[in-house]
Amino acid sequence: MNNILECRNLTKIFGTKKALDNVTLSIPRGRIVGLLGPNGSGKTTFIKLCNQLLTPTSGEILIEGKIPGVETKKIVSYLPEKNYLSDWMKVSDIIGLFKDFYDDFNAEKAYDMLKSLGIKPNDRLKSMSKGTKEKVQLILVMSREAKLYLLDEPIGGVDPAARDYILDTILRNYNENATIILSTHLISDIEKILDDVIFIKGGQIVLTKTVDEIREEIGKSVDSLFREVFKC
Amino acid sequence: MPWDIKPDRPIYTQLIEQIQLKICSGVYPPGSRLPSVRDLAQEASVNPNTMQRALAKLEEDGLLYTNRTSGRFVTEDTEMIKQVRKRLAEKHVQDFLKKMTELGFDYNEIISIISAMIKTEEMKHE
Amino acid sequence: MLAKLLKYEVKATARFFLPLYVALIAFSLINRLLNPFEAVASPGSPNIDLNLQVIISIISMMAYFALMVGTLVMTVIVMIQRFYKNLLGDEGYLMFTLPVKTWQHITSKLLVAMLWAVLSFLITAVSILITANVQHLGDKLRELVDLVRTYLGPAGPFIIPAYIFLIIAFYTVMVYAAIALGHLFDRHRLAASFGMFCVLYFVYQIISAAFIFLLSTTIPDFFTASRMPTPHELNTLLAGPAIISIVLTAVNFTLTNIILQTRLNLE
Repeated sequence: MNNILECRNLTKIFGTKKALDNVTLSIPRGRIVGLLGPNGSGKTTFIKLCNQLLTPTSGEILIEGKIPGVETKKIVSYLPEKNYLSDWMKVSDIIGLFKDFYDDFNAEKAYDMLKSLGIKPNDRLKSMSKGTKEKVQLILVMSREAKLYLLDEPIGGVDPAARDYILDTILRNYNENATIILSTHLISDIEKILDDVIFIKGGQIVLTKTVDEIREEIGKSVDSLFREVFKC
Repeated sequence: MPWDIKPDRPIYTQLIEQIQLKICSGVYPPGSRLPSVRDLAQEASVNPNTMQRALAKLEEDGLLYTNRTSGRFVTEDTEMIKQVRKRLAEKHVQDFLKKMTELGFDYNEIISIISAMIKTEEMKHE
Repeated sequence: MLAKLLKYEVKATARFFLPLYVALIAFSLINRLLNPFEAVASPGSPNIDLNLQVIISIISMMAYFALMVGTLVMTVIVMIQRFYKNLLGDEGYLMFTLPVKTWQHITSKLLVAMLWAVLSFLITAVSILITANVQHLGDKLRELVDLVRTYLGPAGPFIIPAYIFLIIAFYTVMVYAAIALGHLFDRHRLAASFGMFCVLYFVYQIISAAFIFLLSTTIPDFFTASRMPTPHELNTLLAGPAIISIVLTAVNFTLTNIILQTRLNLE
């Protein structure tokens, strides 16, 4: 099983809106993939379908050959755009939770990364700034030894220094057997760390290439191409 | 020496050039051990697969070699490194000459300008 | 996995209830010491200290009652809020991506809600007993158990707690189903949930009324009989609503499970 993710004719409709329109994709293991598109293009919908946070209207999506469910959640590590941490918890509580529910969670790695940010096990989540909580969430997600990482807008509302930290964390935890799918609309920052890019517009895939293919064949950076393709 | 990856050229090509540069300038001396692919990728903030491809190409060219247990090393063949250095220099000069001729200088004028500028640089360093 | 969920559910809610219970017991002890009943019972005394004592006692009693009512109200609110916030709010992004089946989420919330409902009830009862300074508690309890036995038969003392559990579970799951149904709406989900609860309750009332109608037609002399019903008759009478409640609870649970599994749509 070389492909960690496969979807065929995947469609998701909300009321009258077609958020994903007949998407067919295969993503192999060991790649860092950028899912690039403007707001509302279907990136988050796609990621939620991988997680069983949404169910397809038609078509199918398979993670390691299985329909999203309990078994796939064991091997998928998800970082949503939202902050999902309970305010009442201490850092040690949330680490304990991840350790309890995920066999592939490396608590030691998490504590190390938190320590380098000056975050202690007894710190209360309630007392942290929004940016710090985001970093905690990222650390929790990257401390799992998952087969598929889904990062939804990880560098979205974050300052440039924090962005570097996030990209650095992603690279540092890279494992050649795992795939990372990153969705974003901030491309110039992450271009260099991507293997493949997928352009998504209006729920449809408009382009799938590697970063160097774009630079070589089209002679532009992914960022420039993006601006062209998604011109308003 | 920080990594300088420009946005409009393939990253893979730029990595090859930058590693060659680091070898020629002595940042990675002959026979020295290179950091791991992962560390290099992190340093350069690039995708590890891309870094791996660049290193593989350089190995193919003979500038690097892999010792299965101890990692990747720069070749000890100083002749080869000199060759690479010469090739890089020639490319820079070629680019330079192209730009200068675009500006309208002929080769004699170019040599005069170069001599003059070198003299100025030498005087600065005294 | 269910055990782990229960652990976190208890952790998340205990920090709210335990202090409340401690306060309740503390207040009941204070009230017992102040002996409000005795103080009020002897108003003839012109002692200034006594008047002060009466005032303090009354304030303390009022605070105590407020606390008691508050505890019971809070139990209901927390039960609703836990389900709504932890599963369908932002925390849902964490909960629903854990490798756990949906029914386990619902069950863990249900069991813990029942736990606190029962505990709140017990602690409130205990605190009343402390305040009222009931003497010879053991004898009085034995009398109560015997009374129950006469009406409901030998299994009586077990039937009542089981019934109470059933009622708590029934209403809790009805609330969960209402919240899940409300989640199907795009906007004004909270209002929709409230509306759905009314709908579900209405359905329940209709079924209950149908049952009573059925009962009155099949046992016409039940309501006209002038004697006390036998334990057998009472048990049969209670069985009907019990079965209805069990079936409806199962239906509501399944409904909630299906909605959360296939129609989840977090903001």
